[in-house]
Amino acid sequence: MTVAPPAARRDGAGRPVPPGSWLGWVSSTDHKRIGLLTVGTSLVLLLVFGVFALLMRTQLARPDETFLAAQAYDQLFTLHGSGMIYMVMTPFALGMGVYLVPLQIGAPGIALPRLTLLGYWLYALGALTMLAGFAAPAGAHAGGWFSYPPLADSAYSPGAGTDLWIAGVFVAVTGTILMGWAVLWTVLRRRTRGMTMLRLPVFCWAMIATCLMVIGAFPALLAALTLLAVGRADASVFLHNTWNIGYQHIFWFYGHPVVYVMFFPYLAAVAEVLAVFSGRRFFGYRGTALSLLVFAALSMSVWGHHMFATGQVANDYYSLTSIALLVPAGVEYFGMLGTLLGGRLRATTPMLFALAFLPQFLIGGLTGIMVGTPVIDYHVTDSYFVVAHLHYVLFAGSAFGLFAAVYFWFPKVTGTRLDDRMGRWHFWLLVIGTNLTFLPMFALGYLGMPRRVSTYAPFDGFGALNLLATIGAGFLAAGMAVFVVNVLATLRRCSLGRARPAGDDPWQAHTLEWATTSPPPRLNFPADRPLPPVTSFAPLLDLRRRERSGA
Amino acid sequence: MRQRHVFGTVFTLESAVAGLVFLVVLGLLTWVVVERRTQEASDRTERPRVEAFYVAALAAFAVFLVAWTAWQNSREPRTAVVRPLRVDVTGFQWCWTFAYPQSPAHRQVTGDCHGRSLPTLVVPAGRPVQLRLTSRDVIHSLWVPALRYKMDAFPRHVNTFTLTLDHEGRWRGRCAEFCGQRHYAMDFWIKAVPPERYDRWAHGAAAAV
Repeated sequence: MTVAPPAARRDGAGRPVPPGSWLGWVSSTDHKRIGLLTVGTSLVLLLVFGVFALLMRTQLARPDETFLAAQAYDQLFTLHGSGMIYMVMTPFALGMGVYLVPLQIGAPGIALPRLTLLGYWLYALGALTMLAGFAAPAGAHAGGWFSYPPLADSAYSPGAGTDLWIAGVFVAVTGTILMGWAVLWTVLRRRTRGMTMLRLPVFCWAMIATCLMVIGAFPALLAALTLLAVGRADASVFLHNTWNIGYQHIFWFYGHPVVYVMFFPYLAAVAEVLAVFSGRRFFGYRGTALSLLVFAALSMSVWGHHMFATGQVANDYYSLTSIALLVPAGVEYFGMLGTLLGGRLRATTPMLFALAFLPQFLIGGLTGIMVGTPVIDYHVTDSYFVVAHLHYVLFAGSAFGLFAAVYFWFPKVTGTRLDDRMGRWHFWLLVIGTNLTFLPMFALGYLGMPRRVSTYAPFDGFGALNLLATIGAGFLAAGMAVFVVNVLATLRRCSLGRARPAGDDPWQAHTLEWATTSPPPRLNFPADRPLPPVTSFAPLLDLRRRERSGA
Repeated sequence: MRQRHVFGTVFTLESAVAGLVFLVVLGLLTWVVVERRTQEASDRTERPRVEAFYVAALAAFAVFLVAWTAWQNSREPRTAVVRPLRVDVTGFQWCWTFAYPQSPAHRQVTGDCHGRSLPTLVVPAGRPVQLRLTSRDVIHSLWVPALRYKMDAFPRHVNTFTLTLDHEGRWRGRCAEFCGQRHYAMDFWIKAVPPERYDRWAHGAAAAV
C-alpha cells in the first residue's frame, strides 16, 4: 500500500505556501518568526520565574516566617536563578540577535535558518524539561543555578528533579549555541553591499562579541553538566576533591562569559536607543566596537574570581584579570555618555529605560570591582551583597535594556507602538521597585545574611531591611502587571485592526531595519524599494542629512 | 579585630572611589537631562585623544588597585608567625565540629544546630589560632561576618587559615555555601576568652567558658 504524501499548497508562482496558524510559527524558517518565538517564550518565562521570586520575597519578609517550607524555598531559588539565566536573559539576548541582525545588515534572511529553528525547539524543550522537575516525587532540583557537587550528586540530591534539571539545561544551552553560530555566521557572511565591518551597527558588534563568547564558553557548561551526570551515575567520582573543584573551574569558565552574553546585547540596545533619541550618531563607535571584543576576550580569563573563598585558586591573578575589565567597561560608558553629552534628547519610553540603565548598571559594575577584590570578597561572597550585585547587573542593568529594546522595536515588529502612558507607569514602578528591592540587600550582605537561606532568626536583625526589599518586590510586580496589560492590549488592538499604524520609522532611527515596512515582509526588504546606500553605521541618519541639504 | 583590618582599609577606599564615580556619572546624566533638551545635536563622532588619556587613566587605576590590594592582603598572615593554636573544624550536614588536637583533654565541641544548641568555637584572645577546615559531606563555608572573613570547607581537602582575635567577645558564625535543607540554621558561636581561662578549659576543667 502506498501513502501519498500530503500535497503542499502552492501559490500562483508554484512556490509552496507556508502553513498558517501555530504550525506556521513553529515550522517557519523566517528568522523574524524564530526570533519572536524565542523572545516571546523568554518573556513568558520571565513572568513565571518572576512569580517564584515574589514567593521567595514573601517568605523572607519577616523572620521565622513559615509561608514556604525549606524544601520548597530551595527549589524556588534554584529554578528562579537557573530559569532567569539559562531560559530568559540568554535566550532573549540571542532571540533579539536572530530577529534584528539580518535586518540591520540588509540581508533577506538568516544564515542556517533550519539550525536556528532547531535551536529554538531545543531551548523550548529544555525549559519545559527543567520545569517538569516540579512533577517529580521529590520536587524540582534544589542545588542552586551552579549546582556544585557533591551536593548535586545522587547521594545528596537523589530526586529525579535534578536529572531533569541537568537534561533541561543541557538541551536548552545546546539550542542557544546553535543560535549563536547562526547569528555570527549571518553577520560575517550575509552583509549587504557596502556594509563593511566598520559600518555595522553597534548592536551587530555586540552580537559578534556575544556569539564569540557563546561559541567559546558555552560548551564548557555542557562539559560541566556531563561531569555532573557521570557523577550521578557513579557517585565515587565526587569522592575526589579534584572533580569537586574541577567542576567549579569548568562551570565558571562558562559562568562568567555568560554574564556578558546577558549584558552586551542589552547594552547595545541601550546604545542604539541613546543615539536615536539624542538625535545624533553614536559617539566613540570604534572604541566601543574594540572594547566589546577586548571585553569578550578578557571574559574568558576571569572565572576564578567566583572561587576566591575556595582556597584553591590563584586569587591575585584572577583579581588582576577581573579588575582589568573596568577598562573596556569604562570605554563603553565613555561612548554612551559622550553620545548624550552632545545630543538633543527626546524623553520617550525606550529612552527612559536606557537612561536609567546607565546609573543602575553602574552600581552593579562598581560593586563588581569590589567583589573582584579578594580581601572584600572574602567577606561578601555567598552573602546578600552578591545577590544585590548580580541583580543590579542583570535586573537594574540588563532587564532595563531589555525593556528599552521592547519599547523601541515593538513598532517595527508589530506595526504599532506600545501605549506611552502605561510605559511610563511601568518605568517608574520598576525604578522604584528595583532600588527598593536590591539596595537593602547590599546592607544585608554586609551585616552577615548568607544567600540561599530560607529563613532567619528575629535576633539576627535582618527583619527591617528584608521587609523593605519585599515591599520593593511588590512595586516590581505592579510594574510588570502594567507591562503585561500594555503588551496584551496593544496586540489585541493590532489583531482587531484598530491600532494606530506607527509607520516605517516612527523614531527617526539610524539603522537599516527602519528602512523597511513595519512589520517587515517575508524577505525583509520590499522588492520595489531599494535599500538606502550604506554610507556609515547610521545609514538612515546620513540619508536624512543628504535630503535636508538637498544633495 | 586585628585579623582583617585590611578589609576596612580596602573597602573604604573602593567605596569612596565607587561613590565618586557614581556621583560624577549621575551628575553628568542630570545635566544632560536638564540641559540637552533644546540645543542642536553635535556632529562630533569621536575624540580619540581624550579617549586615549581616559583609557590610560583607567588602566593605571586598575593596576594600582590590584597591586595595592594584593600587597595589603599579603601583609596580613605575617602578623601571625608564632606557633599557633590548632583547631580542626569539620562542617557536616548541618552543623560543625571543633576539635582541639593540642589540648591535653582532647577537647571536641559539636552540636546539631537545632534551636539554641549552637556549638561554640572557643579560642584564647590575643593568640594566633590556626583553623584547619574540612567537610564530612558536601561543600560548606565558614563565615564569621564580624571578622569579615570566610573560607570554604571541602570534603577530602583541608583549607588552612590563621586568625588572631585581639579582644574578648562572642560573635556569630554561619555557613555561607548552600549545603541543603538546613543550610539556614547552620550557625555557630566563636568566643574569645582570656588565655588563662582557655588553658584551664583545654586541660579539662568542667567550668563552661
